[in-house]
Amino acid sequence: MHDTRHMPKPPARDWTIIAVMLLLAALVVASFASLPLKWRDFFTLDAINSAAELLAGFAPPETATPFLVKTAWATLETMSMSALGTLLAVVAGLALALPASGRLGQAPRAAVRALLNVLRSIPELVWASILLIAAGLGPFGGTLALAAHTAGVLGRLFADSLENAPPGPEATLRTNGASAAAAFLYATLPQTLPQMLSYTLYRWENNIRAAAILGVVGAGGLGQMLKYHLSLFQMQQAATVIIAMLVLVALVDAISYALRRALTR
Amino acid sequence: MSTPLLELRNLSKSYQGRPVLANLSWTFRAGEFVAIMGDSGVGKSTLLNLIAGLDAPDAASTSSIIIDGVPMAGLDDDAATRLRRSRMGFIFQAFHVLPHLTLLQNVALPLLLNGLPVARAAEMLDAVGLGGRGDDFPHQLSGGEMQRVAIARALVHRPALVLADEPTGNLDPDTAHGILKLLHREIKSTGACAIMVTHSHIAAEMTDKILQLSKCGIQETTIVKPFEQ
Repeated sequence: MHDTRHMPKPPARDWTIIAVMLLLAALVVASFASLPLKWRDFFTLDAINSAAELLAGFAPPETATPFLVKTAWATLETMSMSALGTLLAVVAGLALALPASGRLGQAPRAAVRALLNVLRSIPELVWASILLIAAGLGPFGGTLALAAHTAGVLGRLFADSLENAPPGPEATLRTNGASAAAAFLYATLPQTLPQMLSYTLYRWENNIRAAAILGVVGAGGLGQMLKYHLSLFQMQQAATVIIAMLVLVALVDAISYALRRALTR
Repeated sequence: MSTPLLELRNLSKSYQGRPVLANLSWTFRAGEFVAIMGDSGVGKSTLLNLIAGLDAPDAASTSSIIIDGVPMAGLDDDAATRLRRSRMGFIFQAFHVLPHLTLLQNVALPLLLNGLPVARAAEMLDAVGLGGRGDDFPHQLSGGEMQRVAIARALVHRPALVLADEPTGNLDPDTAHGILKLLHREIKSTGACAIMVTHSHIAAEMTDKILQLSKCGIQETTIVKPFEQ
């Protein structure tokens, strides 16, 4: 048996963690108690029959050539919205990341980080509702909505990458007589570029899903088609649109995942 | 006797009122390989930073640093940067080889920054025994090989002054010996003046001259091995 007389005292128990966990548990219980969740109604025979009837209406999906062509164009529009929105966000995010990483001083850092917080705390759907009033219905407003929210996210991530990059290589170049711009371009930017590209591809994945949803508020693409056919109870056409969404998201996820794996290997 | 390359006159530096260097004067000549030794905190790295223009002497002092006849005090930031780029080479304990560039690109950097032809980068890699490995990346190298790349990078643009801060501090004794022999050979072949800060008596013994930095100032010394003290 071990002699415990000379053992150091165990670390003091951190009651804060236990208090936070108890608080979280209380919040979960309060959430369930405060919402009128009718689980019993959801699992009645009537509810199950209604759901089955609704789902049966989706089959078979519409496969008429003109409709498939229309769906393909909407798919392309959704993909373009997400790609262009992401690209605009990368440009804006990079421009904002430089001051947000503290390279121009502490005051610009704090101001730009506050701006990035605002940009990313407003969800794409809210941005779309605001921008559709300004830019009109269609994919342009949706693209801007994606760009605004994603610029907030990417700007913050890019700024963190720049701040966390090892300072040695840039300092070495400065010591060796490189200008500040050359040292940044030769040392810090190449070090952070794979991570930035990885973040960008991940956000593009998210934006494909978001672009599909934005159509529901009138921003074009597959979402707008889905809303149109569902509101007319044209379930077979809606099924084709949903399948197109699934295929598009799966395809972009796979491409993005493969590229990110290749970049971070 | 060769011409003076670097003159330190009454060099003083304090941090928050605490003097680190006080009225230091010395003249370094072209072609010299000099070791600077001294206890930790005595101001060896501060001295290198002052010589490189990365830090400034006390404003109230009559300090002056003259490199190749050019007083550093008269240079603004841009001019000091240009002087470092064209006339100085640096070797660090932690190598600081850029991880995302190939060995050839790393060595070519000072040439690119100075607008010189990059062909000499391959010659320098050959000279430090890494010929044919120009397309490798730093993560494929050992510590000793990395320091060889750092030496090639420091000397490729034929600087007049090479500043080395503990260049063998992260290396095993055999590798360190090889690196110092290489550094000595390359410095003698280019005619540069090299100043090496080191704690290692063995490293210091391989130089032409050993200077002891202490609170009393700087003076030439011979090696006194610890067990002989």
